[in-house]
Amino acid sequence: MLKRFRLEEPESVKEASDLLGRHGESARIYAGGTELLLAMKEGLIHYERLVNIKKIRNLDQVKLDDGVIHIGALATHRQLACSDILQERLSAFVRMEQNVANIRVREVGTLGGNLSFAEPHADPGTLLLVLGSKLIAEKASSKREIPVEKFFVDAYETCLEEDEILTAVEAPLLPPRSSVAYLKFGYLERPSVGVALFLVLDGGGRSIADARVAVGCAGPRPKRVEEAEALLKGIGLKEASRAVEKAGEIAGHASEAISDLHGSKDYKEHIVQVLLKRAFHQALGQSQSGGKDQGGLRG
Amino acid sequence: MHFEREIEIKNSREKVWKFLWDVDRFITCVPGCREANTVEAGKSYTATMVEKVGPFRVEFPLQIEVVESQELSHIKARASGSDGKVGSRMKVELDVHLKDNGQATVLSLGLNVDILGKLATLGHSIIKRKADQAMEEFAQAIKNRLEGVS
Repeated sequence: MLKRFRLEEPESVKEASDLLGRHGESARIYAGGTELLLAMKEGLIHYERLVNIKKIRNLDQVKLDDGVIHIGALATHRQLACSDILQERLSAFVRMEQNVANIRVREVGTLGGNLSFAEPHADPGTLLLVLGSKLIAEKASSKREIPVEKFFVDAYETCLEEDEILTAVEAPLLPPRSSVAYLKFGYLERPSVGVALFLVLDGGGRSIADARVAVGCAGPRPKRVEEAEALLKGIGLKEASRAVEKAGEIAGHASEAISDLHGSKDYKEHIVQVLLKRAFHQALGQSQSGGKDQGGLRG
Repeated sequence: MHFEREIEIKNSREKVWKFLWDVDRFITCVPGCREANTVEAGKSYTATMVEKVGPFRVEFPLQIEVVESQELSHIKARASGSDGKVGSRMKVELDVHLKDNGQATVLSLGLNVDILGKLATLGHSIIKRKADQAMEEFAQAIKNRLEGVS
């Protein structure tokens, strides 16, 4: 049963940050509550105060700003799944959002809440890693940009300070001849393994100019796998089709997969390999179909 | 969850054995152990373990019983306790063996940990990872103490 708590409803980031700073560990941000309230109902955690930041205006907008896609942290998964801007510019993100958890979670859960709670079995962090995203964190008197690689510290732990609030996610527009794929595998609504791939082809479309690989859900936090990326960069597509097998093996080991009820460590590592291979072929397929409908390969 | 670990300590078996029974010094090597008391030397002890994973915090007051001990060779102990706030219970079975290895002593640890109740809903993988980290920190700490690094 949910124990009693006080609900604060600040109307600005400054006010919210002040509240968090003043009450320290006895207060926590409420930004949808799809993970937080479950844990509180289970009695696993308790806070005297929840700081509902959903009343702060203009933190849920998606907009294009000087070559950057700006996503307000309070945008719900459903808003993002239905965003015209994202559908046109970053449809891999839309597809990921369409498949987050279930409709109840997508309706009230926010991107910022998802990232800040840092539950390991979550989709957005993995995809944001290959998009070269930055997270904007604010407190009463300052604002900073955090590369997504540095945001996740461990399971349920981020680099956010006690009085800091994640206010936005920014991703650069996809370059010409690029393609993005995110694939996941899991039992019911919690993904056990998530794999994201970003590819840029050279001018002739015959070799890979750049590649980014990220794995998530299998281990405590999503992470880039630069060693796997190196195997795919600068080689022809046929050669890359063979190299992706090895890249998947490396990504599997790098995922820090742990045996649990979702599957054994070996099993998850194998799934990473399978998903990376599929993601690679999906990304190349986007390039062959022109990429428009997938929103992946552009240019 | 079962954990095994061998730690090679550059010190005599006698010194390592003595250290294991020196409660005040020993607990400084155990991550998350806030306090420990001797109820009956060599037989019964109490300790409080505190662990944190992100926003989740658990505190287990443990009753520890030494089931077997053979001078300079091995210790078998059991511990159990409950965190009333979180509604979870922890049971631990510990096997410690010492053997000589030239100039060093090999400390072999075998640990069976069962977490029951709501804490288990947090995820077996997260708990296991924390326990793996704790084991690694313990190994490093005991080496440092007995090899004179700190």
